[in-house]
Parts: sequence; C-alpha cells; structure tokens
Amino acid sequence: MTDAALKSQSLRPYLLCVRSSLTAALSLSNFASQTSERHNVPEVEAASSPEVLLNPLTVSRNENEKVLIEPSINSVRISIKIKQADEIENILVHKFTRFLTQRAEAFFILRRKPVKGYDISFLITNTHTEEMLKHKLVDFIIQFMEEVDKEISEMKLFLNARARFVAEAFLSPFD
Amino acid sequence: MLLLDYQNVLIQSLLTERFSGSPPVSIDQVVSDFDNVAFHVSTPETRSKILISIAVKCYKELVQYGAQEVLEREYGPYIVSPEAGYDFSVLIDLDNLPSEPEAREDLIRRVSLLRRNAMAAPFERAFDDFAHRQEEASKFTSESAPEGVREGGEVMTIHYRDEEAIYIKASHDRVTVIFSTIFREETDRIYGKVFLQEFVDARRRAIQNAPQVLFRNEPPLELQNVRGLADGSHGEVGYVTFVLFPRHLTPQRRQETISHIQTFRDYFHYHIKASKAYIHSRMRRRTADFLQVLNRARPENEEKERKTASGRTFRVQG
Amino acid sequence: MASQTPAVVMDNGTGFSKLGFAGNDSPSFVFPTAIATKGPAGGTGGSGSGRPAVANKPSFLTGGTGQGGALSAKRGTEDLDFFIGDEALIAASGPGYGIHYPVRHGQVENWDHMERFWSNSIFKYLRVEPEDHYFLLTEPPLNPPENRENTAEIMFESFNCAGLYIAVQAVLALAASWTSSKVTDRSLTGTVIDSGDGVTHIIPVAEGYVIGSSIKSIPIAGRDITYFVQSLLRDRGEPDSSLKTAERVKEEYCYVCPDIVKEFSRFDREPDKFLKHTVTSPNGRTVTVDVGYERFLAPEIFFNPEIYSSDFLTPLPTVVDGVIQSSPIDVRRGLYKNIVLSGGSTLYKDFGRRLQRDIKHMVDARIRASEVRSGGKKSGGLEVQVVTHKRQRHGPWFGGSLLGQTPEFRSYCHTKAEYDEIGPSIVRRFNLIGGPGST
Repeated sequence: MTDAALKSQSLRPYLLCVRSSLTAALSLSNFASQTSERHNVPEVEAASSPEVLLNPLTVSRNENEKVLIEPSINSVRISIKIKQADEIENILVHKFTRFLTQRAEAFFILRRKPVKGYDISFLITNTHTEEMLKHKLVDFIIQFMEEVDKEISEMKLFLNARARFVAEAFLSPFD
Repeated sequence: MLLLDYQNVLIQSLLTERFSGSPPVSIDQVVSDFDNVAFHVSTPETRSKILISIAVKCYKELVQYGAQEVLEREYGPYIVSPEAGYDFSVLIDLDNLPSEPEAREDLIRRVSLLRRNAMAAPFERAFDDFAHRQEEASKFTSESAPEGVREGGEVMTIHYRDEEAIYIKASHDRVTVIFSTIFREETDRIYGKVFLQEFVDARRRAIQNAPQVLFRNEPPLELQNVRGLADGSHGEVGYVTFVLFPRHLTPQRRQETISHIQTFRDYFHYHIKASKAYIHSRMRRRTADFLQVLNRARPENEEKERKTASGRTFRVQG
Repeated sequence: MASQTPAVVMDNGTGFSKLGFAGNDSPSFVFPTAIATKGPAGGTGGSGSGRPAVANKPSFLTGGTGQGGALSAKRGTEDLDFFIGDEALIAASGPGYGIHYPVRHGQVENWDHMERFWSNSIFKYLRVEPEDHYFLLTEPPLNPPENRENTAEIMFESFNCAGLYIAVQAVLALAASWTSSKVTDRSLTGTVIDSGDGVTHIIPVAEGYVIGSSIKSIPIAGRDITYFVQSLLRDRGEPDSSLKTAERVKEEYCYVCPDIVKEFSRFDREPDKFLKHTVTSPNGRTVTVDVGYERFLAPEIFFNPEIYSSDFLTPLPTVVDGVIQSSPIDVRRGLYKNIVLSGGSTLYKDFGRRLQRDIKHMVDARIRASEVRSGGKKSGGLEVQVVTHKRQRHGPWFGGSLLGQTPEFRSYCHTKAEYDEIGPSIVRRFNLIGGPGST
C-alpha cells in the first residue's frame, strides 16, 4: 500500500469522527445570558456560567493535526490545528489563515482570532444554525479541513517547482 | 518576465526617443535603479545636450578596483567631470551623434548599461587576475605550485547595499563570487531558503556546466580574512557562493557572465516576491471557493438572479 | 540623510498608469493600465479566466493526493508570462494573449492582475527594490476601505515595501496646483475638475477631505471629444477620419472660444484659421486633412453638451456650480475660490478662462437676485477663480511627487513594521500631508 493511500485511509475516520462529533454538538438553542441582563452572548466565549458549558472534545489524527470542539448551550467553537510538517508549511498555513481571517466579515462563522494552540477557529451560534442549514455547515467545516491540507501542500509544491524553475533559468545562460 | 533586464529601461527609452530626431525638450529627472543606484538625467545647458549622471553607493570601492578604466573604455569621449552629488557623468550632444544607426544603437545600449558597467570593474579585474594565475599555475604541477599561486588573490569587497556585499576572489582555476544576503522578513527568509536550495541543486540535476552554487549561513572559508562580516548565527544572514569555472571566464563570454551574475540578488528577490504574488492569487481563489461552499448553507440565499428586460442583472442592496 | 531613496509615486488610473519618483516634475513612465496574460481575454469583470489554475475538485474525488494539481504546478509559470502597458497592447494584438484592464471606474477590480501589474511596474520599469523605497499610491474618491486594505496587503506582504501612503487623487490634484502663481495660500480646500478619457468628475475637497455626498460625474470626457471630432471629419468626407487622426487633431488644434457664434463668423472672415493636418500612414503615404470649426466646436461640448449628446444636457459650469451649492455652506467660498483643473481633457487653451467666466456669471446673477430680494442690501461679492497650471495633465501624480519629496513625507507613511504590528486595517487612516496642523 502506498503512503498516500495509507494517509487517505487514516484521514477518512478522522474526518468522519469530526463530522459526527460536530453534528452532535450543533444542537443549540437560544439562551439569554444569566450574568448580565438583556444580553445574549455566545456562552462558550463568555464562559461566565460554567453550568451551560459542555465538555470540550478533542479529535486528533496525530499530534500535529487535531480539532477542538467546545460546545455550549447556544454556541460551539471549533478550532483546527492544520498539519505543518516543516517551516515552509508553517509559514504557508500562517499566511493562509491570516488571509482568511482578514476576510472574516464574509465568512459569518469565522472567528477573527484562533484559539491558542490552533491555527483557525470557527464560532457557530444558535443564530447561525437557525438561519443556515446545519448539515451544510458541517459539510463546510469538513470540506474546509480537506481542502486546506491540499491547498497547503499544493502551494508548497508550487514553491519548490518555482524555485527549481527560477534557479535553472538563472543558471542556464551560463551553460 | 523571467529574467531582469541588464539595462535601465527609462534611459534606454528616453535616449531612443531623443535620438529619433523628435524636437529636443528639457529633461530633469532623478531616477532610481536597483541597489540604491541613482541616475540624474538632465539638460543643464541646452536642450540638445543630455547629461546623465550616476551615483553608486560603493563607487569609492569600485574605483579602487578599476572602475575608472572600465568606464573610460566604455564611454571615452562622452565623459565629463562628475556632476555635484554624483560619481560619474556622461554628456551626450544630440547635434553631434554618430551618423550610422548601428553606432547610435550601440551608444544607447552603452549608456543604458551605465550601472552595469560601473559595477563591472571588480569582476573584470578578477577575471584578468584569473587568466594571469592560470598561466602561472600551468607552469607547475599541482603539488609543486608555490603558496601564492594556490592561494589565489585578495578578496575584493563591494558593499553595494547597506547590509549586503559582494566578495570576489580569483584563483588559478576559478573565480569565486560571494553574495552576502540578508532577509528582514521571516517569510522571505523561508522562501529564500527554498530557492537557494534549488540553486545549489540545479547544477547536480540539470545544468552540469553552470557555476557551482553553495549556500551557508556562516561566512565561507574564502572570507576568513575579511573583517566586518555579518554574523549568520541567527539565520537571517546567508552567503551565496558562485564558483565560476574557466569556461565562464573566456574572453568571449566574460561580458555576458558579468552582466548576468550582477543581477543575481535582484532576480532572486524579484522571484520571491512574484511567488508571493502567485500564492496570494491562489489564496484569493481558494477563499472564493470556501465562501461558495459556506453560502450553500444559507437556504434563502439560493440564486434568484433577477434580470431587466434588456437582460442586465442587478444586485439587491442590503 | 543624503542617501535617502526617493519615494516611488504610482498613480494607477482607469486608462493610464503614471509611475515615477518623487521630486521629478513628470512621471517616468506613462502607459495604459493594461495587462496581457496567456489565454483569451476575460469577459466582463474579469473573474474566472486569467486566474491561476487551481484544482477544482477536492482530492477525495480524484483519488490520491491531487496528482493532476502537482503536475500542472510543475511547470506552473504562467503567472510570469504576461506584459503590461504598451507591451500588453502589442502582445494582445498577436495570438495567445488576452488583454485585461484591472482598474475600472478608478477602482481596482481584479487584484490578481493588479498585483502582477505592480510587480512588473516595480521590477521591470522602475527598477527598484521595494524594500528600499517608500511608496505613494493614489485612490479615487469614495474608494472603499477594503480596497485600501487589499492594496496594503499586497504592497506590504508581497513586496515588503518600506512604507506606504495612499492619497486621494483629487487631494493630490489640489496639491499640484500649488505651483501655479495664482495660488497664494497652500490650502487643501477647493473644487477639482478631473477630466480624463472616460468620465469627468467634479470633486469638492474641504481641508483635505473629500465631500463625498456632493461629488458629481458627467459622462463627457476626452473620448467623447475625440468621437465628436471624428464625426465632424466624417461629415465633411475627409480622406482620413480614423480615431487616431481625430485624436491628433483634438490634441493639436483644439481650443475653447468665448462665444461660438462670433467664432463662426471669425472663421469666415479669417480663412487662415482653417488649418491643414498631415497624416503619415505607416506605409509612408501622406494625406492632408482640413481642420475647421472642430477646433473650437469639440471642446465646446463641455459647455453646450446638446451639440454632441442627447441624454446629457447640463453644461459643465452649471454642474460645478451645483456641486458647490450642495456642499456645506461654510466651505463654499473656498470652493469657488479654488477651482482646480486636472487631467488631459482640461488642457485646451482658454478652457479655464471660459469656465471661470461662466461660473462667475451664474454666481453674480444669484447674488444680484438675492440683493434685490433683500431690498437693496449690498453683497460683498464672491470670488470665483479657476486655476490652470503647467502640471495639469498628470495633476494627481505631480501632487504626489510634490508631497513625496517633502522631508516630513516619511513620517506620514505607515511603515512595514507598523503594518506587521497592527495589520491591514492600519491603512484605513492616514494623516493628511500638508493639511491643517502641518508645516
């Protein structure tokens, strides 16, 4: 079995696990704040009433790739740690997530700052689940996880290919 | 654009236009070029006399390595005493141009290569030195050669940028050109590393006759006697060594080799930036894709494109 | 510091880009804001085509880890294969390349193309290492702040430029007028009439800030004048009535007259007012074209649009007056006093004089009427002044060049370090150079 096939085999259960955990976590309801009157805040962010916070859950594929799901009564926070094998991937992930959060306005559920220890975080509230289709939101997160890995490795491939091309182009006139 | 031009496009196009016989106009422009080189193109006395001056940061060093002779060879009759604040000036009288079109073309080419020629002196000297040493060394077998021949010449240093320098050293079988590089930005440093690795590997993989390229963060052995080197221990300073072999140094090829190797730093940085631009456009595309996926989750937002009678579409505000 | 590098000034307009270094009196390069890329021209809006190929299908559909993507990336150098400016026009006329205009209506529409356009501007034409230079870019009035952020993202992240300042074109045009002898105080209050190729804007500026709600545009500009000249040439059956000839005639012979009726009779009295224009075609043949009434009729469409257009009928002076009247009352005096021209279509001889006269007429009539209504009270009068100056053609660029060479310019820029610290939102605000409170 090739390495790639092995990888995609371990990817499937990982994504499957995230999908079902996330679907389960996304049963949200409207909930007014208990600590300040006439406020309605994502409890997972406010963290002011411990009784409405549920147990956070980590799904990890390996030490470099994991998802943290923090459910609460009216909101869920999903944080993703994207695979980074070396410093190139590291910088590419950083660039890409920064580029995305820069455009968080358009992404309704994207958190402008990732949770510490993760690369990118999403915050889904009961408003989101009411206005949008829940299973499609889950689809989005899963597809994001799939594509982001692919994008990073493609960018890395591009960089290597470009570097090779540029080096050869510079050196060949000497030939 | 893959390779950078050797000449300054502005000077080239300006002279081409002036030489074509269009009515003379007064010019007064300060123009930059790579590596803190500044040109001043002006018509101080009359409109038909164009003064082109160049200021190079490391001109003193270049003169020390024979820049004056190189420039005199290239620009002989056109040289005038340098304009205040500049290092070297040529004056072109439009009423007194060479009559043959080829000679005019050649003049334009030469002048637009002013920066290149000013920087060429140490390279030429090293190449000459190499030829000399090669001849010397051929008199001995490699073991019996006296110390001086094997050692190679002194290292010529050109501080062409504030924090970066070129070092050139000739020996009997090669000329070594070392660029010290510095990256102020983490991203550039990492991209740069990828690029430099490929420069190092290119010779092994594809182009056997290319100069050998070496890259390291510590100053290479050739520079052990040079003072004032930047310390590479933090990773942002690096030394890129090009080893030019005799085949690159033949009289027929030396001019081209000099032109080409001079562009290394800017070429390298240009491509780092172009790669970043490409990665940006990939990210834009990918972000648009993600947004599309996310928007599928919004039920009421299904495409209801509305059209006017003439077929134009419009967006509903808010 | 003597060795300080000059700031790079780039004014990317819808039609033309003006590039150069601060301190010069004219841009080093002026060429179309066009980019020719491999493949067919992008349709409207420039989405889709011209962008780099990114594998569309997620990898789990194709199986494996995206073999196709890796292969196409291997030789993926299409993004380096492009031309900008005049070279783009040449390349696009041949096979294989399509032309794109990344700027539309003054605003950047296609950031991918714009980023590459800048890359080539900097490295091929200006030949500068952006890390060594500060940059002054321009933007149209009412540019959304997101566009500024995108610009900053490109300038700082891709190019690592040392510092950046983004100025509004109209404000720079005001600064450019400081070279005129008519301008005594260097104020940044005034009305800018910016007429380029596609559209004419009238932009009131108070103390360096654009009064957005009062901006008006009129759909008559350089291109319309060219078309009008061409139609006149065609009507007379001239041997050459190409667009190019019409443009030459427009640029070389046209002027603004005080009164068309009188000018017609003057032409009839003085036959030497009729000129001949010689066209040399590429194959060496020459033809002669008569140049007649279009000399003064063509620019007249600004003042009497009905001779050219049937759907836009308000004369330019009326629009200018309306713009100023709709601005806050406390700045109107300043707006009337400093009406600044900018752009290629304001260069006709006596254009400013005629404009000033017409606006003055309107203002005086209004003052007289209100004097009558107030029962004989005398008004102090209102000064109307249209400023023409030598740098009108590239007004915004020249204004940028003036500001970019001031010693304090750098302190107004946002630097790379500040950007890294705060992020793109930093460029939402710039302090005004030469504005209130500065020296």
